[in-house]
Amino acid sequence: MTIDLQALVQPDRVHKRVYTDPAIFELEMDRVFGQAWLYVGHESQVPNIGDYFTTRLGREPVVMVRHTDGAVNVLYNRCPHKGAKIVPDGSGSAGKFLRCLYHGWTFKCDGSLLSVPLRSGYEDTALDLKAQQHSVRKVARVASHRGFVFASLAEEGLELVEFLGGVATSLDNFCDRAPDGEVEVAGGVQRVIQRNNWKIFFENLHDTIHAVATHESSWRAAKEEFESMPAGTPKPFEVVIVDGNGEPLEFWEKLELKGYDHGHGFMEGIFVPPTDPVSLAYVAALQAKQGEARADQILRVNRHNTIVYPSCSPHTSFQQIRVIRPLSVDRTLVEIFSFRLKGAPEATFQRTLKYTNIVNSPSSNVMPDDLEAYNRVQEGLASDGGDWVSMHRGMGRDQPLPGGRSSNGNSEMPPRNMFAAWASYMGVQTGAAE
Amino acid sequence: MNFNDWQEQQDITKFLFNEARLLDEHRWDEWLRLFTPDGLYWVPLVHGQTDYLNHASLFCEDALLRSMRARRLEQARAYSQQPPTRTVHVLGNISLESRTEAGCVVRSTFHLVEWRKTEQRAFGGSVLHTLRREGAEWRIEMKRVELVNCDAPHEALQVFM
Repeated sequence: MTIDLQALVQPDRVHKRVYTDPAIFELEMDRVFGQAWLYVGHESQVPNIGDYFTTRLGREPVVMVRHTDGAVNVLYNRCPHKGAKIVPDGSGSAGKFLRCLYHGWTFKCDGSLLSVPLRSGYEDTALDLKAQQHSVRKVARVASHRGFVFASLAEEGLELVEFLGGVATSLDNFCDRAPDGEVEVAGGVQRVIQRNNWKIFFENLHDTIHAVATHESSWRAAKEEFESMPAGTPKPFEVVIVDGNGEPLEFWEKLELKGYDHGHGFMEGIFVPPTDPVSLAYVAALQAKQGEARADQILRVNRHNTIVYPSCSPHTSFQQIRVIRPLSVDRTLVEIFSFRLKGAPEATFQRTLKYTNIVNSPSSNVMPDDLEAYNRVQEGLASDGGDWVSMHRGMGRDQPLPGGRSSNGNSEMPPRNMFAAWASYMGVQTGAAE
Repeated sequence: MNFNDWQEQQDITKFLFNEARLLDEHRWDEWLRLFTPDGLYWVPLVHGQTDYLNHASLFCEDALLRSMRARRLEQARAYSQQPPTRTVHVLGNISLESRTEAGCVVRSTFHLVEWRKTEQRAFGGSVLHTLRREGAEWRIEMKRVELVNCDAPHEALQVFM
């Protein structure tokens, strides 16, 4: 049965099936995740030769591994002999070569075949051990931007920097905020399972007007907590990052949203740069290394979540990257990586981890209400109560930008922008975002 | 290391049983009062984690964060508590790990069954309670919950374990 995808996406609304139909999910794996540049990991996760880190790109289990020449390779985690995953899930060191557990075939860290047991058994057979197909297959294309490694499963397509377009500056600022200009993954990875389609999570990233409604339980708890403190107490960081969701709709409306080609975008920062001792010490460290003018230029780039569609969401001012991994049409895994700014005081990194623990972790007080909303959307969409999902707010009012468009904070430009990209990957027209 | 006598063992066992019961009955305020003012509730993210400042955790909550969580759970519009999480703790293997100047460290094992909405979840692991004697009462300086599956992907963890 063919699916008429063209009938499911319109410029200002989408049909519920794009979130609920398992067949469409499989097509997304082929066409969206099979073509786009996807975030794999950061080079600091594999600092030494033989270090590896496994992940999945769409449906494909892959391994990022550092070769003897220093290059970071991304290989399909599959032995060319019988198909076993060569390295176990997770991260570690393989030594100088990869060795399959099943029959002991070994490979260099660029995937090329090194040795097989009983080599003589293959003489005069149709299997030519010198042929490329007996090496571990490399992912079609790999490229890195400031240490952030991306891969594409497609042989052809845009260069990474063209693909990133206007959100390359978010990855730049992510690193520029380090006094030494570099970041490294540190502090462990948290993983959250969501019972919803992956697109619902992405669309919520720049959905400003849900915050005051959905997050009432956590912003109200934070406000009450602060009100119970002695008058004149400076507002603790723990309260600031939770009670901000209680801002009125006018606050969110004033924020600028930017959407770029290929579904990317970012939201203007919602936190005023703080003036507490931890923040001031960090700013001083940045100024000492980069000079005051440059430091000021770096810190002026104040953004909340950035969307790198369809694989990750960096948060530049709290040094997090959330990686979005669709598991099935109604299940999504989100992995949260924290980064250390090289050259910054240790207290800065500890604050990064506070944000991780309080806002993004499975035990977040903020996120359960998001997850509840996503899940009720997922379950509600399965009903016959209606067929379409609206993205009308602010339609026709976007301002053009080079390579994209901007809108005020309460516009539904971001989901329209993402669906324009989605349609393009899926091979249909929406009539574009505007 | 052994308890001094049956009385001490009984005393600490009762304290742990009561603590678990307060959680299972959602008596958050009473549970919060079991902690010393600078006490910590900590659920490490990885096995053998020794540092909660420079490494992410599943829970890492001082008095402020514990209180914020308790307040949130009781909000009328805590949508993710419609219906509320229900739990039951089963404790075992209570033993004395070490003695401190003001109290002791007690290790126990637990099985936690949690239900909300559609599915039952099970957690298990060990708990290290660092207890401080205050007059006739015990207070918690640190509750460290070592989950068997701490490093697994989790759905939302809303209530204290």
